[in-house]
Amino acid sequence: MELTAILYSIPWDQILIQTINGIVTGMILALIASGLTLIFGIMDVVNFAHGELFMLGAYIGVIVLATTGNFWLALLIATLVVALLGAAIQIVTLRPLLGRDPLTTILATFGVSLILQNYALWQFGPVARKIQEPFTGHFTLFYLEYPWYRLVIAGLSAAIIGGFWLFLKHGKYGIWIRATTQDRVMAQAMGIPVPWVHTAAFAIGAGMAAASGVLFGPLVGVNHTMGLDWVLKAFIVVVVGGMGNLGGSIAAAIFISLLEAYAAIWVSPAQAVIVSFIVLILTLLFRPTGLFVPTPK
Amino acid sequence: MTIAAKDAPLIAVDDVHTYYGKSHILHGVTLHVGPGEVVGLLGRNGVGKSTTLKTIMGLVRPTEGSIQLDGAPITGMPPHKLARLGVGYVPEDRRIFRLLTVMENLRTGLDRQGVTDEKKQALLDKVFNYFPVLAERRSQAGGTLSGGEQQMLAIARAMMLEPKIILLDEPTEGLMPRMVSQISNIIDVLHKENVAILLVEQNVPLTLEASERVYIMEKGVVRHHAAARELKMNDAVIHQYLGV
Amino acid sequence: MTKRTNTSYWIAFSIVLALLIIAPLVLPEFWRRFLTEILIWGLLAMSSDILIGYTGMISFGHSAFFGLGMYGAAAALLMFSPPNLWLALAFGLVASALIALFVAYFSTRLRDIYFAITTLIFSQIFYVIVFTWTEVTGGENGLNFPRPRLAIPGLFSVPFTSETMHWFVLAVVTASYLILRRVTRSPFGMVLQSIRENEPRTRAIGYPVERYKIVAVMLSGLFAGLAGVLYAVQNRFAAPDFIFFLVSGETVIFNVMGGIGTLVGPIVGAGFFLLMREFLSRLFGDQFPYLIPLGVVFIVMIIFLPQGLLGFARRWLNR
Repeated sequence: MELTAILYSIPWDQILIQTINGIVTGMILALIASGLTLIFGIMDVVNFAHGELFMLGAYIGVIVLATTGNFWLALLIATLVVALLGAAIQIVTLRPLLGRDPLTTILATFGVSLILQNYALWQFGPVARKIQEPFTGHFTLFYLEYPWYRLVIAGLSAAIIGGFWLFLKHGKYGIWIRATTQDRVMAQAMGIPVPWVHTAAFAIGAGMAAASGVLFGPLVGVNHTMGLDWVLKAFIVVVVGGMGNLGGSIAAAIFISLLEAYAAIWVSPAQAVIVSFIVLILTLLFRPTGLFVPTPK
Repeated sequence: MTIAAKDAPLIAVDDVHTYYGKSHILHGVTLHVGPGEVVGLLGRNGVGKSTTLKTIMGLVRPTEGSIQLDGAPITGMPPHKLARLGVGYVPEDRRIFRLLTVMENLRTGLDRQGVTDEKKQALLDKVFNYFPVLAERRSQAGGTLSGGEQQMLAIARAMMLEPKIILLDEPTEGLMPRMVSQISNIIDVLHKENVAILLVEQNVPLTLEASERVYIMEKGVVRHHAAARELKMNDAVIHQYLGV
Repeated sequence: MTKRTNTSYWIAFSIVLALLIIAPLVLPEFWRRFLTEILIWGLLAMSSDILIGYTGMISFGHSAFFGLGMYGAAAALLMFSPPNLWLALAFGLVASALIALFVAYFSTRLRDIYFAITTLIFSQIFYVIVFTWTEVTGGENGLNFPRPRLAIPGLFSVPFTSETMHWFVLAVVTASYLILRRVTRSPFGMVLQSIRENEPRTRAIGYPVERYKIVAVMLSGLFAGLAGVLYAVQNRFAAPDFIFFLVSGETVIFNVMGGIGTLVGPIVGAGFFLLMREFLSRLFGDQFPYLIPLGVVFIVMIIFLPQGLLGFARRWLNR
């Protein structure tokens, strides 16, 4: 085949569309995974309930939107409420386990995820709810009417992650979080109230998950099982990005989402998931400490 | 033999027992440090010197005995509260926050409630005056500093707490001789600032030079207690407990 | 272990076994099947105890081994006519062992926390594959197949009734228990426990820790597959739901509730969990979200009763 024929046979339009789609889901995934990474990095806790916090955020968004009609208010309230819930969960279930085998914390957060998921099923029923997007404008992208809202999600997620990064970098409590992540004992000896820093970090992670739930809600239905898919993806991202490495998680989130989006051009979305599994397997084979971490010297 | 501190003790450790899991490390340690006093804690490896400091700092919980700060009980108090009450801790492996810059390392102790910006600046100016090299490296990651610079940073970081006492664990370990003399200068400076120091060291001459009183530990208890001046002339005791 | 406690152990063992043998003769049909199911889930939980309790690795992917055992048995029962119990066993065990080898190879490369995550992800891979590969697996609806006869060629051949099913399952579970008990007390089992206590030290002494872990995962997967075969034979169907991660989660719950590192504990835990579920749904109706109260009990037990029901009972008896 001639080169021009090959170039013509590549569906450039679809690739561009899927690039945008991949970046949009990648940013949402990055927002979820950053919280997961933050929590893992600071207290060695793999938060199994992270997907359920995402799901509860979406549900609270549904409720607030139904009562006030204001999407942005829904985003704000869902974030705050789930952050508070996260703080309560950390205090009740994880604080007593501090100093025990970190594996017990996986068990505890798994228990929390079961409770939250079944609560949502019981409270809201199995039928998916819908969040109305705050605006419905479109622009033309080849043969598609592409919704502006999707781009807004990507932008907002990036803004939240950026704000979080600035907070970690320069904020007083950001420095406390980083110091505690590096050396819990020494942080305490410097007067940093480590138990509360843990609680705050968990609350921040929970709030970020909830925010992504509300932002993503309009694209899919909100139902009680929506958390599991995302937490699985976020787990893959966190492993591929290098456990506890924030930048790596963000890069991995976008990388994997793009790959899945491209794969979806040729196979069904359900099977496109396999692509991220393959990335995970290859990572475990060749670079088990993570793709996006600098090689240790 | 017993020599009382001049004033009421700043730190009073009374008959403290500490365990690591099942192993009994401290078998009833009793010692005290007066305000602004430099006190040495000597002994061979593994006799419980570091554990004594960790116990005072609240990093290890004693099973028996009591610890007081300024006459108030602090036994079992969480370390972050102790730090805010004015107990600074410089651990033996320094434990710099390696990924934080020098400035951020200092800020971990500076960003407390009730410290005005002027006060913060004054504290920073003071340590940068003592350790100009830290000022030079203020935006460099702590992990990239040399051993001696890390030791300075560890002490400077503790000074950010405006401590009444610093628990100083083997500050000269692994340092070059030039740095060792600098450490003893730092101790002198802290002493002039009226900061009490409980100094754990392997370096006997430095300890005897820097301290007013010295405790010698063996197998989890204090065996000997004397003025540093006295010990300098008593080679037998030093030989008996320290083998030097 | 002293001689006396050893004797009392075997006396207790015999009493429990005798009770379980008599049980189907006195229990009504529903509870007879219920008890058989407890034994099957108990075997699954017991298999995962090899990892959780003895090696210090939490598997969140045991549903994959269980489910593959099930589908392996299904393949044998559908391919051969008349359906043969022993072929079902062989197919199920081979399928689960292969999957276990695959999972073990990748998931033991990193430290324990990754193990929980990667086993979970791997089980979801198999779930997606089984769920979407409709031509072979029947997709969402799963597969239905005939039940084989309980037969030893040349000796006897009887159809399964709920009593013989129970006895057959009891025999398999008891044999598995005795084998696993033997394994955990063997030098191999001691190495596993030493990995649990201190992995770097075990490596430093010179044991190839990764290889031990891989064998442990395979052993565990094999017995989980065995439970899957039993379940398939008892219920005559295989469905992707059994590969879903919730089954793995319940397996972990059985372990924690019953008491990890005891082999019997997980069976007790399975019994406790299933009875509570039955009790709650009879009390409040089928729609009752029984996992909410059981989830709370689970968390409370992790925090306050890390030894599980069995450990608690043991301490209480020793008082």
